[in-house]
Amino acid sequence: MSLEQLSKFVEDGESDSARELAETLLVNGANPIEMIEMLTRTMAHVGELFAKLDIFLPEIMMAGDALGGVVKVLGPYLEKAGGRQCKGKVVIGVVKGDLHEIGKNIVKLLLETSGFVVKDLGYDVDPLTFVKEAETMGADFIASSSLMTTTMPRQKEIIEILKDKGIRDKFKVVIGGAPTSQLWADKIGADLYCYDAKSAPERMVSILETSH
Amino acid sequence: MNKETLQCKPAYRLLTLDQINRLHGATLELLETAGVRVLYPEAVDMLAAAGCRVKSDNIVLIPGDLVEACIQSAPSSITLYNRLGNEAMCLEGRRTYFGMGTDLIQTYDMESGRMRPSRLCDVANAARVADALPDIDFIGSYALPCDSPANLMYIDSFKTELENSVKPIFYTAAGSQDIRVIYEMAAAVMGGKDMLRKKPILIHYAEPLSPLTHSTGAIQKLFFCADNGIPVNYTPGMMSGATAPVTLAGAIALGNAEALSGIVLHQLRAKGAPIISGFGMSTFDMKTSACVYGCPEYRLALSACADLFHFYQIPMWGTAGVTDAHCIDPQASMEWTASLMTAALDGANLVHDVGYLGQGLVGHPAALVMCSEIISYVRRMVRGFEIDTEHLALDVIHDVGPQGDFISTNHTFDFFRKEHWQPHLCNRRILDNWQAAGEKTWADTALEKTREILADHRPIPLSSDVLSSLNALRQQAETDLKHTRFES
Ligand code: B12
Repeated sequence: MSLEQLSKFVEDGESDSARELAETLLVNGANPIEMIEMLTRTMAHVGELFAKLDIFLPEIMMAGDALGGVVKVLGPYLEKAGGRQCKGKVVIGVVKGDLHEIGKNIVKLLLETSGFVVKDLGYDVDPLTFVKEAETMGADFIASSSLMTTTMPRQKEIIEILKDKGIRDKFKVVIGGAPTSQLWADKIGADLYCYDAKSAPERMVSILETSH
Repeated sequence: MNKETLQCKPAYRLLTLDQINRLHGATLELLETAGVRVLYPEAVDMLAAAGCRVKSDNIVLIPGDLVEACIQSAPSSITLYNRLGNEAMCLEGRRTYFGMGTDLIQTYDMESGRMRPSRLCDVANAARVADALPDIDFIGSYALPCDSPANLMYIDSFKTELENSVKPIFYTAAGSQDIRVIYEMAAAVMGGKDMLRKKPILIHYAEPLSPLTHSTGAIQKLFFCADNGIPVNYTPGMMSGATAPVTLAGAIALGNAEALSGIVLHQLRAKGAPIISGFGMSTFDMKTSACVYGCPEYRLALSACADLFHFYQIPMWGTAGVTDAHCIDPQASMEWTASLMTAALDGANLVHDVGYLGQGLVGHPAALVMCSEIISYVRRMVRGFEIDTEHLALDVIHDVGPQGDFISTNHTFDFFRKEHWQPHLCNRRILDNWQAAGEKTWADTALEKTREILADHRPIPLSSDVLSSLNALRQQAETDLKHTRFES
């Protein structure tokens, strides 16, 4: 039994086998940092397959679940080895007045499976709540979803509140949802617009990197 | 033989009575055990007073006998009028009417040929085109006017639709504030609220939140319609695999539970008030995350829905003339036709979304013209044929005899218009003539026809008195709703 086998279990979404194998490997002295790096590559691969439309969403979800299970087991080992990595912290929600939450749920899922820590605020979320929760969490990103032209102005209000409080620079503001666009992002001064959920993790990593 | 058996009419029934009972039983079980979440406190109190059990988190368990009673009290027939006061649709039995949906955020521009954010002029164009099309029975905004002030989008749409067509209007609203203005506009057109109640020209479209939730905003709109006797269409739009089970039977039971609990809310509020019910079920594409409108599963769920609501004897909503193609292309034709044909065979009553492109996000005025043509075809199909003596025509066959021809008989002359469908646009030219006329595709001729309608069709205008009332209502709304935050 090896890291390769573990990677395979994660890719195939076999949560129980993955967790059990991870435990065995760690007890027998496997390097936790190597393990998480390996599994990060696995998830990147799974994400690529999904982006190319080679696999289905439930498959990536199962892989995400399996990874989550392994990460739980890994946690204490990683802490000891000082190697817990997190790509960024995100608060995400659907804006006030809007109940469409499937898109947001998918974004959340893909962010989590690619190593972000995500706090989900649900739907019908007040602009001020986004900001407060982001402050509490010490988030890097405020991500909002709007599915209706009638609720898009709430995305702008999030940015206005940040400016009013003089903390605009503390967070990267990401927006999405079917009626939103790059044009809208430019207009309201958002940092990032993503057309779909798949492109979000990579692009969020890259705007965080360029700003450091 | 009686007259009935001499008329042969294609119709489709998917479910046997046993299957209907099984699905109905599953629905009642869901409502009694899982219940629905009701987010509007006034509605929770009303349900509790009617004998429902209220659990924590606003979960309401609805007993089966209450559901049955509300199914009984909902009317089996709803008549809609056009704004001239003439009967336009009688939603009952297996009568099928076709019309538009609402809120498409992108529209193809007739001048540039390109897609761009929808504008109020697109609502006007769609209404005017539909006004001229004989097979579109009711209209909807089709486009969402992104150039209107955000809080007035639905008011502007409704007013524009009134100005550009006489047909009944299927409309959305953001909340209890703008729905009232729309209602007042309709009343102004019909000469008062009483007249409007007698002759409704509008159907409101609100939705519960799948799975199993009735939001405050949706209930407020539902109640507003119940209180004022305005027909309301209260139907969930599920996505199988995301907001509903991936299995069709599970999604149908869930959607039916949402629909029937909507009927309970509505009928408890105003017994006998007009409601159109049913459910829609798109599939959630597991590769692209798209919400799929053109799939076969949607049609199956709607066929089951039609059988259930015919059984309940409550007018039923449908969805057809929809496609996932982003432009007018053969995929669009395929999905439009398959869905329109099935809806007609189902005997669905109020079939909306005709001319939808791009998974419910894109519109094109010519799509309405093409779908109207398909509906015309489909209507010929479902009319069937007669097999009485005259239609059997044994005497004519006898007279013509072997090797004769039927072209010059009186029988042909008497019946050819009625028996054979005549397309408005589809090509029937023989090859040489088609080539000589420029080898046009159906999309080309549909575009030409659309341009012609937009240039020439003048809808019957509103009186100047009514127009100024509408303008005044619009102006008032501009100030009143300026800072409104609609309840979701
Ligand atoms: C399903 C649906 C519903 C369901 C929602 C169920 C739920 N639990 O979420 C229900 C039935 C409740 C519903 C209700 C209504 N709806 Co609706 N609905 C839809 C529909 C058909 C699909 C939306 C969807 O989930 N798509 C699939 C997901 C995966 O796609 P997505 O959300 O776009 O997300 C993707 C990307 O955009 C991106 N993304 C999304 N968010 C974010 C955020 C970030 C940060 C990032 C990076 C990326 C990102 O990633 C996702 C995956 O790639 C759309 C039409 C459409 N095709 O979009 C209409 C639509 C959005 N609805 C519409 C309307 C009008 C309504 C109602 C007003 C209808 C009514 N008569 O009451 C109500 C409003 C309720 C409310 N207050 O919110 C209109 C909106 C028009 C407008 N104003 O702009 C649409 C466009 C349909 C139409 N043309 O009529 N609806």
